[in-house]
Amino acid sequence: MAALIELDHVRREFDRGNIVGVDDVSLTIERGEKVAIIGPSGSGKSTLLNLMCGLDLPTSGEVRFDGRRVRSAREWTAIRARRMGFVFQNFCLLPTLDAAENVEVAMFGIVPTARQRRERALDLLARFGLAGRSHLEPPLLSGGERQRVAIARAIANNPEVVVADEPTGNLDRKAAQSTMELLVGLQQSSGTALVIVTHDPSVAAVCERQVEIVDGRIVHVEHRTARPPAMMAGVGETAA
Amino acid sequence: MNGLTLPIRNLLSQPVRTSLTTLGVAVAVAGFISLTGLTQGVEHSFSAGLGEPGVDIIVSARDSFNLFSGSIPQGVAAQLAKVEGVAAASPVLVNVTSADDNASIVVAGWPDGSPLWQGVTLLGGRIPQPGKWEVVLGNVIADGLGKKVGDTISLVDQPYTVVGIGSFTTALNQNIALVPLPGLQELLGREDTVTLIEVQLARPLDPARDAAAKAELTRVAARYQVSDTDQFTSNIRFFRLIQAIGSTVSLVVLVMATIAIANTLLMSVNERTFEIGILSALGWPPPRILRLILAEGTVISVVGGVIGIGLGVLTMDLVSRAEVAAGLMESYITPGIVVEALIAVFVAGPVGALYPAWRAIRLVPAEALRRN
Repeated sequence: MAALIELDHVRREFDRGNIVGVDDVSLTIERGEKVAIIGPSGSGKSTLLNLMCGLDLPTSGEVRFDGRRVRSAREWTAIRARRMGFVFQNFCLLPTLDAAENVEVAMFGIVPTARQRRERALDLLARFGLAGRSHLEPPLLSGGERQRVAIARAIANNPEVVVADEPTGNLDRKAAQSTMELLVGLQQSSGTALVIVTHDPSVAAVCERQVEIVDGRIVHVEHRTARPPAMMAGVGETAA
Repeated sequence: MNGLTLPIRNLLSQPVRTSLTTLGVAVAVAGFISLTGLTQGVEHSFSAGLGEPGVDIIVSARDSFNLFSGSIPQGVAAQLAKVEGVAAASPVLVNVTSADDNASIVVAGWPDGSPLWQGVTLLGGRIPQPGKWEVVLGNVIADGLGKKVGDTISLVDQPYTVVGIGSFTTALNQNIALVPLPGLQELLGREDTVTLIEVQLARPLDPARDAAAKAELTRVAARYQVSDTDQFTSNIRFFRLIQAIGSTVSLVVLVMATIAIANTLLMSVNERTFEIGILSALGWPPPRILRLILAEGTVISVVGGVIGIGLGVLTMDLVSRAEVAAGLMESYITPGIVVEALIAVFVAGPVGALYPAWRAIRLVPAEALRRN
């Protein structure tokens, strides 16, 4: 079976080549694995994540999903809708929609009826302890609650991979640990691959593979035994 | 949550901007409705008004610029009256003047003894006597000017005695002053000429005989325009001109509405680039994002359109009630005008939203997300 995501000598330039975000990166994400992409700010972590999700297209090199080279934004859109879930540092919830509607919005075009979308959204929120908060808009939710809504949205379509960009970056320690427990628990229960971009070593430690990137290049890959989120120390304390 | 939830929430999240844009569309549609309605209403007012006393055919000068500028020798009426199937041919002089140096009023001079006088239903008083400065006023203008039987009114600088108040159904006649023809000709310096000749066919009407009569009238009055009453105004260039002006101004206001919608949505899209990036990251394909923006434009234009139709009817009503417009303009709304306005707003909304929508979908998601 082909790897889930493969990056092959990928390069991404900006400003007509004056800035190189990612340079000659090759990386494979297998099904069901937990991978952390770590590195300092500005190292190219988020650019790499964008390329592996088709949020951005490489200047050169190729990206394959499930063994097939993905060339166009249109192909990536279809993959992101059905096979990928996203969790962002700043939650990325739509402010005009309530919590349940923010989950529903990911199911447009996938789940056919409004009623089915609603039921699924409420079910997911209930699983994440937000049963009584589903009618609230994002500004009325705490940071941890917002991130749980974002995770519910990420898994709404049963994706094969969840990509999390600094998922604990805006959370306090308790909420950060809770978020990581949720993400790792989902990964373990559903076999979904989990790719986490972080500069926080304690968050990266929950993954069995850590890929370190500096100045747009992979400088180190480490395989290790993943630590459970409950053993995270100081997580979230580096948040701005 | 359905497909309209997000566009409506987006619009409601900026209530002031959305309200102002909707109001802009409403004003544009109101302008379209009122301009179109009033220009068509002027024509309708005259054609319906001229036919009200039982007139079937109107003979007028060819290619008249306006209703009042045509000139026909009065004697032509006698020739037309001899045509088989014609019950009466009445020479009529029509003009617009000021009443008591104040309100505009349409004055029609009818010949003494004309059957036209018999078609007038009087609310009070009588018809004018030959050779006297007497007038029958339409019921609306009489009310508006506070005139009753026995009062005096100045028309063409000549004091007339109000001897009757007529009850009419058309705006033209409700605001008209009917006077004996000879006196009006003298005042206007148009002895022996009239504006038009109103022909009443013999009753009961007979299609074959009436067609033959019309053909004969056309032959006898070969130098003039012979028209059915309801077709008469379409030959007047003035009506075509004001319709052209009305259509042009209507088009301009609708283009302005389209620009207003585009401007609002462009600002909205620019402010929501990040949100559009989120939708794109969630796998919303460009056509769905396009529909979202188009839906916002359509909602604005439809709501504005419905408000505008009401506003337009109200504006028409107010304008038609103005003294200066009395009898010349009437509030005239037809399903056709409403449909035209609705089609226009259904086009204006999506067209105005197209450019902002295009801008939204051509963004790379990563670029959109960076703009948070």
